[in-house]
Amino acid sequence: MLTSRGLIHRFLEESAARLPDKLALVDERKRLTYSQINRQSNQVAHGLIQAGVRPGDQVVLLCENSAEYVSGYYGILKSGGIAVPLNTEWKPDGLARLLDGLEPKVFLASSRLEETVRSLESVRARMGRVFLVPRRPSSPDPALPGPSGGLSFSAQPEGNPDLDIGPGSCAMIVFTSGSEGIPKGVMLSHANIVANTRAIIEYLELTLRDVQMVVLPFHYVMGKSLLNTHFAAGGAVVLNNRFAYTASVLKQMAAENVTGFSGVPSTYAQLLFRSPLAKYRDSLPALRYCTQAGGHMPRPIKQDLLRILPAHTRLVIMYGATEASARLAYLPPDRLAGKLDSIGIPIAGVTMEVLSPDGRTLGPGQVGELVARGDNIMLGYYHDEEATRKVLDHRGYHTGDLGYVDEDGFFFVTGRKDEQVKIKGHRVSLRGVEDAVVESGLAMECLAFAVPDVYQSLVVAAVAVPIREAPDNAVRITDYCRAKLPDYLVPRPLLLVDAIPKTSNGKPDRSGAFDLFRSRLGLGGKSGLSGIPT
Amino acid sequence: MMDHESEIRQFIADQFLFGDIRPLSPEESLLEAGIIDSTGVLELLSYLEDHFGIKVQDEELLPENLDTIGNICRFLDQKLA
Repeated sequence: MLTSRGLIHRFLEESAARLPDKLALVDERKRLTYSQINRQSNQVAHGLIQAGVRPGDQVVLLCENSAEYVSGYYGILKSGGIAVPLNTEWKPDGLARLLDGLEPKVFLASSRLEETVRSLESVRARMGRVFLVPRRPSSPDPALPGPSGGLSFSAQPEGNPDLDIGPGSCAMIVFTSGSEGIPKGVMLSHANIVANTRAIIEYLELTLRDVQMVVLPFHYVMGKSLLNTHFAAGGAVVLNNRFAYTASVLKQMAAENVTGFSGVPSTYAQLLFRSPLAKYRDSLPALRYCTQAGGHMPRPIKQDLLRILPAHTRLVIMYGATEASARLAYLPPDRLAGKLDSIGIPIAGVTMEVLSPDGRTLGPGQVGELVARGDNIMLGYYHDEEATRKVLDHRGYHTGDLGYVDEDGFFFVTGRKDEQVKIKGHRVSLRGVEDAVVESGLAMECLAFAVPDVYQSLVVAAVAVPIREAPDNAVRITDYCRAKLPDYLVPRPLLLVDAIPKTSNGKPDRSGAFDLFRSRLGLGGKSGLSGIPT
Repeated sequence: MMDHESEIRQFIADQFLFGDIRPLSPEESLLEAGIIDSTGVLELLSYLEDHFGIKVQDEELLPENLDTIGNICRFLDQKLA
């Protein structure tokens, strides 16, 4: 039934044809049907075409999760443009730097981000026209005049533009979170996203009865996949941008009979330890599953979730990358108990293997780099052929993750290739340290660093968030680590903090956390790392 | 004038605005204004608990209690009453 003809926006158009009056999206007090969203997206598309957007032109989308984001996103795709969704939390400086490398024809922004757009005045002239995403199809003249005059979206036709767009053409440029360096622009085609959307629908068994709570930003590839999959299946998405106030999200999940929830590891740490999840156990009868991706989640968090989530709610651990349109592997929930640390098996249409540094396929148990192939693998990095060559070759996409496959074909990730450090002569991944700190049962999150001590040799230090305040937390966690880890991996110092800084995707912000660490130790300034007293 | 408003304003200015005192209306959403995020809310909680000796329950983690200066002050008054 999903005959999308290979284009992302066909999913929306087909749901609008099949289920015109079905609820598609809840955004605060707005409840929109498929036909309303499709009409609104079409008006954006026609407006963009009138503004000069032609297939292959970039359109920047700077908008928080909202009905406007959704119509802006599908509107861009329908116009044949390349959607370039940007992180709404980036500061004007960072945005300006990113925009320097892009060639947007039009800039679509939400009214709330108008100020940010205006602060980018310097790039406006070069970039083309700036419009605000229309708030409602019927609202009067929602577009603000750009340098070359205004544009009315509401006066545009409501029908599908039906342009001839190649499924293999670039549909969007999605920037990696930049938590490990400068964000890279990942070019994804319609075919990439369509293949991945279908595979996700298959393993999550999504139908039009599904209602997804969305707390992850749409500019992040995992957030976007929630939108694409539910719109393809004819389900609904409920937007809640206030996950910081966890009780409000649970309240809405109960009220809207949400069937699916998705988060990154920190989302679940917060749900477990800073939310009334346990009290909602009997108030979430519809919640079929919770999915987790976006990095490694320590074992005790998974075990606690299994205990505290309603008995009928399954936990689905997943693995992927922006470069893979989101998803590469998932762990079937009935195998979770026996394979708690696994990232699972490849999704439909994806093959994965473990390669040695010289390119040999490694057998079960042998650690190497995870390499994946499938129709969901990106076209390449935008304007960065060198970086593209490093990760894409005839073997597939080199994830940069180290891991192995077991005898049953389940994959395990042991660390990042570029995060291996040498401590006192041992090549190690700091993930083991972070896991041990959380396993103590006293910390909800931990980030470990390798820092030079006064003798300039690397030692392990960490910041951790205690579950409950207690004067002996640090001592007890350190004692636990001593019992679990070789001495050179026991973090010294271990600093306890209220919270670990996060990127807007919810992933730990390593450099932010390191700055926090330094400032707590009274090591002012950001240059030079030396001088950690041991 | 609410009791603890100036203390709360000072905390927010020091912690999140880095001393940059901007005119914040008492009913402005701290989250929407980009002043606090998830991490910030946890820091705010920790401050309220340590500084005022209250215990914020998990089910009280609602914007109605914490997302504006006015809401924080009313919530505090309630907790301290």
